[in-house]
Amino acid sequence: MKHSFDVSYIMASIPALLDGLLMTAIVSAISIVLAIAIGIAGASARIFNTPIVAPVAAGYVAFIRNTPLLVQIFFIFFGLPTLGLKLSVFWSSVVALTLWGGAFNIENFRGGFLSVAKGLREAALSLGLDRLQYLWLVAMPLGLRVSIPSVLNTSISVLKNSAYLQAIGLAELTYVAMDKLATDFRTLEMFASIGCIYLVLVLGLSWLARRIERILQRPFAVE
Amino acid sequence: MSLTKRMLAAPLAIAIALMLSMVPSARAQDLPGLPDAIKKQGLLRAGVKCDYPPDGYLDAQGKPQGVEVSLAKQIAAYAFGSADKIELVCVTAANRIPSLQGGKIDLILATLGVSAERAQVIDFSNNYAWGGSDVLVDKDSPIKSLKEFAGKSVIVMKGAWQIGWFEKNVPTAQLLKLDSVSDGLQALLQKRADGFAHDFEVLRPIAKKNTQVKLVGEIYQLGFRGVGMRKGESEWVAYVNAALKKAYSDGLIAHWIKQHVDPDLQQSVIDSWDLSKAPKG
Repeated sequence: MKHSFDVSYIMASIPALLDGLLMTAIVSAISIVLAIAIGIAGASARIFNTPIVAPVAAGYVAFIRNTPLLVQIFFIFFGLPTLGLKLSVFWSSVVALTLWGGAFNIENFRGGFLSVAKGLREAALSLGLDRLQYLWLVAMPLGLRVSIPSVLNTSISVLKNSAYLQAIGLAELTYVAMDKLATDFRTLEMFASIGCIYLVLVLGLSWLARRIERILQRPFAVE
Repeated sequence: MSLTKRMLAAPLAIAIALMLSMVPSARAQDLPGLPDAIKKQGLLRAGVKCDYPPDGYLDAQGKPQGVEVSLAKQIAAYAFGSADKIELVCVTAANRIPSLQGGKIDLILATLGVSAERAQVIDFSNNYAWGGSDVLVDKDSPIKSLKEFAGKSVIVMKGAWQIGWFEKNVPTAQLLKLDSVSDGLQALLQKRADGFAHDFEVLRPIAKKNTQVKLVGEIYQLGFRGVGMRKGESEWVAYVNAALKKAYSDGLIAHWIKQHVDPDLQQSVIDSWDLSKAPKG
């Protein structure tokens, strides 16, 4: 390795990297939000053992958790069109990340909901609350708080896993870096740059989640 | 000479004679000295293509085969006396130069086009083959020339030299950059883009085998291939140049092409490895 670390090269690459960063942020944000929605819905179905939906959710979780994400991405991008469903690169990416994160979130939220004492559920149902009311008034306020750390964990993984999407040509951060590498060969500078950018992104996400957690914990704070 | 010394001398002489006779003739004196670093390593680490028949592809056992792969093995045979003294590393257009610079391989024998930009970061051997690019399109595509890709989408390989050509000559074409030829073909068959631009050497056999696609047939961007090596290893460059020359003069190149190419395509491939047949300009 003869060439030295070239900071001016990184400076010159910033506009391209920002484009990639924007794409990473958009795809990750959409996927994180959708994955949380899938997680809450799937976990609710599972704790109530809703017919059809609960076993489908269980099978879906098992499938996603036991197959590599890259295989899932290729399946959605290259496999689904042969079944007649052709999604663009962008939407293939969102679907892949959402399905991945959603599966993990179902388990995260299920864990949270299960931590709500059984007596509370029996009490709520015997008071005449229906299942949705129990979920909204009892299980969610208590269970969601418990779930937050693991949901944050999954959300961070969704963000980091967006790097896999370069394999199907989504112009996100890693793709931009690989693309520049292929023509400029500044390996060290590029990987150091995107490493730092991912680090800042994840630290920002963690900070946001900690704030949400603190706000939600207020009613339980010991004065 | 004492008896014990004589008893040792005879087997020693026989052993030396045996060792000398075992050195294959390929390791001839017409090749320059091998650089110490490579010699010490005891084997050649070569970056080859694994998705680019006939130059480099994986056989049924998952082992790299092909014309360039055979050439890499032959360089190992010249250097170490055995074609098995080689570690073949699959590389892509995007990662081959970083792999070389990172010290993971000793040379790139992977359809590497010689260019001024690349020459700034690596050294090239003498040219050993020439080639050009074409575009693969759907069999019903109305596109007849490259200009018609303006405003349309084209699949390219990441890090491939077609990217620069399209950015310069058809700047309004949207490029979908993928990692491998199989991904590119798959995406084209699924009509994710209007064309798949790549080296014609790869596209020709695909167009022949696959009736769903055809070639535009307008050849552009003629270029030469060279073996890539790290900067400053001039002894190694000299060795590889001599090995290339020897492989040509031993008639091995044509022999490998016949091994790896369908009979009806053999002549065009043999021509592409003959620099005197390269079109001018």
